[in-house]
Amino acid sequence: MNFVRRAGFYILRKKGKTISLFLLAAVVSTFLISCFSVLNAAGMLTAEIRKSIGAAFYIRANTSVNTDENGRFSMEQNSIRITDEDIAKIMQCGDISYCNPINYGYAKGKELTFVPGEQDNPDNNMGQVTALRYSALHTDFTDGTISLSAGGHITGTSRSAVIISSGVAAENNLSVGDTVTFVSAGLGIDAGSYVDSWQGDRGEVRVTIAGIYDILKEHSSAAETATAGKQENRIYASHDVLDALKESEPSVYTGEVDFYVIDPAGLNKILPKVHQITSIDWKTHFIRTNDFQYSKISDSMLSFSNLVKVLLMCITAVSTVILTLILALGIRGRIRETGIFLAVGISKREILLQFLFETLTITIAAFVFSCAICPVIQGNLENHIFADFQTELIISAAPENGMGAPLEHSSYFNLGAGKSFIIYGCQLITVTASVLLSAVPVLRLKPKEIFTKMS
Amino acid sequence: MSVLKCSGIRYAYDKKTTILKEMNAAFETGKMYAILGPSGCGKTTLLSLLGGLDEPDGGEITLDGKNINKNGLAHHRRCNVAFIFQSYNLIDYLTPAENVALTSTLPPLPLLEKVGLTQEEARRNVLKLSGGQQQRVAIARALASEAPILLADEPTGNLDEDTAAEIAAILKECAHQMKKCVIIVTHSNELAKQADVVFRLKKGELLQA
Repeated sequence: MNFVRRAGFYILRKKGKTISLFLLAAVVSTFLISCFSVLNAAGMLTAEIRKSIGAAFYIRANTSVNTDENGRFSMEQNSIRITDEDIAKIMQCGDISYCNPINYGYAKGKELTFVPGEQDNPDNNMGQVTALRYSALHTDFTDGTISLSAGGHITGTSRSAVIISSGVAAENNLSVGDTVTFVSAGLGIDAGSYVDSWQGDRGEVRVTIAGIYDILKEHSSAAETATAGKQENRIYASHDVLDALKESEPSVYTGEVDFYVIDPAGLNKILPKVHQITSIDWKTHFIRTNDFQYSKISDSMLSFSNLVKVLLMCITAVSTVILTLILALGIRGRIRETGIFLAVGISKREILLQFLFETLTITIAAFVFSCAICPVIQGNLENHIFADFQTELIISAAPENGMGAPLEHSSYFNLGAGKSFIIYGCQLITVTASVLLSAVPVLRLKPKEIFTKMS
Repeated sequence: MSVLKCSGIRYAYDKKTTILKEMNAAFETGKMYAILGPSGCGKTTLLSLLGGLDEPDGGEITLDGKNINKNGLAHHRRCNVAFIFQSYNLIDYLTPAENVALTSTLPPLPLLEKVGLTQEEARRNVLKLSGGQQQRVAIARALASEAPILLADEPTGNLDEDTAAEIAAILKECAHQMKKCVIIVTHSNELAKQADVVFRLKKGELLQA
């Protein structure tokens, strides 16, 4: 009778021991898989939180301090000059999701009047134009100063599109989809009065109202501001609008350029690479980072992640020790059987193979059972542990950069076949090692010693 | 005819307490031998040495002139000897038929019938058999190995008189009809009377009674 048949008889007829080992292996493997699922979910959740929060860095112009021959200091505000080529280089520096270059200018309306400010007259009735690629990413929208009430945002594909305030829309009886014509303008001060300082040929552009915004936070000094400085006269436009008004060059950005990083943890790797781009004059440009949200919670996330890891290590160690001890006790309890086998001439190798075959068969069956019930357990964990946490934390954090979307969390606890097989493989190795380590001392006894122990 | 021969066998527990000293004996196939002696005199030790479960401190055990350790004691246990124990030592998760078939390709049922078990009993759980029936299974297992030497350690120690007599008859039949060399270690004079040759182990020496 070969060892496979003997092992088969043992498994089938020693039902109590078989079921005990099966349940132990099933519980341990299910427990371990579930714990690793939690670790996996925690890791993915942490990454998702980081991505939802995101981070940004802004390239802005710095201020030069000049000293004349008399030793007097003067401050000069530089302007930036970033081209599409520079932006392409920066986008290659890391995991950057969006770039939002901004130009600033002024515009008068041909058949449109702005909400009057201080010293308003037909000459200085103008609004400030903020030309950008993604209006949703502008700080006015993200910090809640204004909010889109009708229409849509300006995106990278928008052309001749503007977003105006509900005040200007009401003043001129405009709504989303209407078209208006803007002409070039410049804001200057002459003899204490605000004037249109534009010189030369004026550009003219016909634009479509893509959206209308409401002002949620009014500036305290809004009433004392020139017409062009009033928040409600601010126009958010696609870049081609300022180009047509001859206030910007195509593909050149002089206002500021904002970059949005997917994972804030990667910001420190991106910035040194950006600084190495030589086509940007870093004497007149500087980078301001914005990872405030991330820095507030990064320590908590790290602690949470470490806590889960430590717990998992403890659980793994305890599970392994329990499984090993029980297997060892099981093998040591078979010393009489070992003696009989040796006495009837069955080799030690065959005895060892039988023990291994029995244990591995039961363990693998337990793993199959574990594979079947793990998804159910993972589903329950999904529903009961992380659901509230996720909706409260992630979704509230995500819209702050204007790009957030509710996260799909159904796969958080799913370890995937690869990781599951690695865990099961490690358990099989542990079980095999336990059987070998437990059996070797028994098999190393001389047959006489075994019979002495038997009697 | 095979001959199992002990020449100058010495054995001591822990190298101090001498159990066997310069012991000489020869056992032939076709005969039943009984070894008598008081408890602790070394009867089971002698059986272990003959069966290759242990090695002597000195001297040599040969089978047909070849040292039993020549091909390893495991080989000797597998090919030359079969054990019958006082406590039967059956594998409890195997049926009698499966116990007999452990190391043999011979059909187990005729062997079990030969020692007096029915086909129904041959398929029962061994633990549900009586002591006598279990010892019959152990004998059938020993016969199945086709080894020329049967070593029995107190084979009737746990059995009533009638059953012991039946087992003794079976062992005698093994020696005389199957031409096995049956060596029995026992305290039982009744069993010893059935043997062809009786030895007494006394003070480390084996003396023919």
